[in-house]
Amino acid sequence: MLHTSTLLPALIKLVAWTALSSLVASTSAYANCENTDIKPGLQQLFSKSWGTEYSGERFQSSANTSINADNASTLSLKWAYGLSTDQPRSYPLVTEDTLFIGDGGRGLVALDKETGCVRWENNSIKDISTSIISEQVDGRTLLIFSGRRSGVHAVDASTGDNVWSSVPKVHPVPLFSGSPLAYKDTIFVPISSLEIGLSANPFYGCCTTSGGMAALDVRTGELLWYRPTIEKAGSVITGKHYLFVEKRGPSGAPVWGAPMLDTQRDLLFFGSGQNYSLPASLTSDAIFAVHTKTGEIAWVKQFTADDTFNMACTISIDHPNCPSTMGPDVDFGAPPLLTQRLSGQDILIAGQKSGDVYGINPNTGQTIWSTRFGRGGPLGGVHWGIAANPELGLAFIPISDIPAFPSDVPQAPGLYAIDVKDGSLRWSVEREASCQERSCWTGLSAAITAGPNIVVAGAMDGILEIYRADNGEKLWSYNTKTEYDAVNGLPTKGGTLDAHGPMLAGNLLIVSSGYGSFQQEAGNALLVFSTAQEQTP
Amino acid sequence: MNDSTLLAGRGRRLFATLIDLVITPVVGVAIMLVTGILESAEAYASTEQTITRLLLLAMSSYLVVNGWLLFSRSQSLGKSLLGIMIVDNNSGEPASFWKLILLRLWALPLIYLSVIPFALIIPVLDQAFIFGKSRRCLHDYLCSTKVVKRP
Repeated sequence: MLHTSTLLPALIKLVAWTALSSLVASTSAYANCENTDIKPGLQQLFSKSWGTEYSGERFQSSANTSINADNASTLSLKWAYGLSTDQPRSYPLVTEDTLFIGDGGRGLVALDKETGCVRWENNSIKDISTSIISEQVDGRTLLIFSGRRSGVHAVDASTGDNVWSSVPKVHPVPLFSGSPLAYKDTIFVPISSLEIGLSANPFYGCCTTSGGMAALDVRTGELLWYRPTIEKAGSVITGKHYLFVEKRGPSGAPVWGAPMLDTQRDLLFFGSGQNYSLPASLTSDAIFAVHTKTGEIAWVKQFTADDTFNMACTISIDHPNCPSTMGPDVDFGAPPLLTQRLSGQDILIAGQKSGDVYGINPNTGQTIWSTRFGRGGPLGGVHWGIAANPELGLAFIPISDIPAFPSDVPQAPGLYAIDVKDGSLRWSVEREASCQERSCWTGLSAAITAGPNIVVAGAMDGILEIYRADNGEKLWSYNTKTEYDAVNGLPTKGGTLDAHGPMLAGNLLIVSSGYGSFQQEAGNALLVFSTAQEQTP
Repeated sequence: MNDSTLLAGRGRRLFATLIDLVITPVVGVAIMLVTGILESAEAYASTEQTITRLLLLAMSSYLVVNGWLLFSRSQSLGKSLLGIMIVDNNSGEPASFWKLILLRLWALPLIYLSVIPFALIIPVLDQAFIFGKSRRCLHDYLCSTKVVKRP
């Protein structure tokens, strides 16, 4: 018989072993730079927003990248860093000598651009889920980003010290999935809702919250204005189940993509998602244009009506919280972008999870043209982000088409280049399947990025590719789905390329590989590539 | 009659606990539905908010099922069905109600922590003490109680 006299020492040993294991695990991941007194350089910032420029084109000009169609084929891995998460969801900010990125449970890290060693780290915010952006405030550079549930944060870029944190009280369960954008003392913060997941609980009364866009003061994080995508969310009781649980609506229309800014018109553009519960609103699956000073709506245009869907439907369409008229879940996760036709006229381009792409008049919201690629579905169609090259007058459309709902429409995963003038197809790339499993689906879910006559696209099968922007010729390919000797010593492997996608900054191409969600392949590799002959733009 | 013959058997204690573990959540679901305590977004506004509400629900469910029995007979429903009761470790008299409510009440909800990997140690530690010579769980030691056969 086991007595307390033998049990207690065993328990003490167990606790001690657990503590020791944690200590070893945490210390082995450190790779501090030899001289951590050297502050990060902050003179040259290679991006202003998630969309590179405020316009959201995700186009890096030759002024900001030396990687182009002539030297892309010489790219090779410079260093790899092991992230402390198998589902990287942070997009870096790069300066002349430093790369800032959210590192899962480790927090925010400032890595030396040349070697990947750690200049400083801030361990206080462990759920960073967005791009890192910056803003000058009273002579110092603030890094601004969101944590999925912890809210919006500002950190001193030189030291890594916390400056402020803010959870805008816009509704009880905000999710901060979309990247913020900072401009002239204001931070624009996309707001989504935890209710998308809470709905899976049958005892939950789905749903009462609306997505939206919040504007915060860059100095304090104080809420300046809030624009919900649905007025009077949750005001209608649509039924009851289990005798007592009230179903409510309208709800949802979350904003989980970054906004983009038109500095000439002083308008902020962003897309909204599907409704979570009935009744459907007129502002789900829509593009919004709001005034930057007040949040007042300039125009809003819905592209798919009656799209009501939540996670309950993924369990069963008979789930009490799954809307009786379930929609296709084809929100705008990819932010719209503002670019110019070669004639010089502005045009807003938006890609939807349905696979539809629209050319929109930025003044009125009127659709100028539309086209469609592939089947579309809850994970795209267009999922995370499109790009454009204003020098060529082209927009580039990545299509995921990963199997989701049954459909008669053929799948067409790949990359499509269209003329921004009329949406006509200029070239397309159909990707070959490397295997049949879902974890190596050939589609392009991650946002893509464009540079001087190049397009960089990461696929769900883990392969990172560069194409000539003017004709679609493949210039370079790299299979990221492998193991790496990471500079910080962590076991490191690549996986699915998804989420924020690749970045061009100076002489570097940067991407996070691995995305352990939706049955895709997990990984934790932050990969930094450079050309054989490094040049500074 | 020596003390060990009065002590409730481990099997009876186990079954009594299992009965409480099954009955209490069933009542808890009913309370949750009627009160809507976990039905709205506010319940999930923070981890603290959710845990507080879950604990309130657990406590209220336990009291609804066992409150009167504990007060009048020093028994939970499970213990009542298995013919055992909680007494003061020193005097052997029925344990005082405040002790049962303020100190001992936490023992049952703690068992549900078993589903959380790092919290598992708490209920395991608590229950493991039953294998001691005096057949008292850790919460018995903390409350100065023991469980005996009902005379």
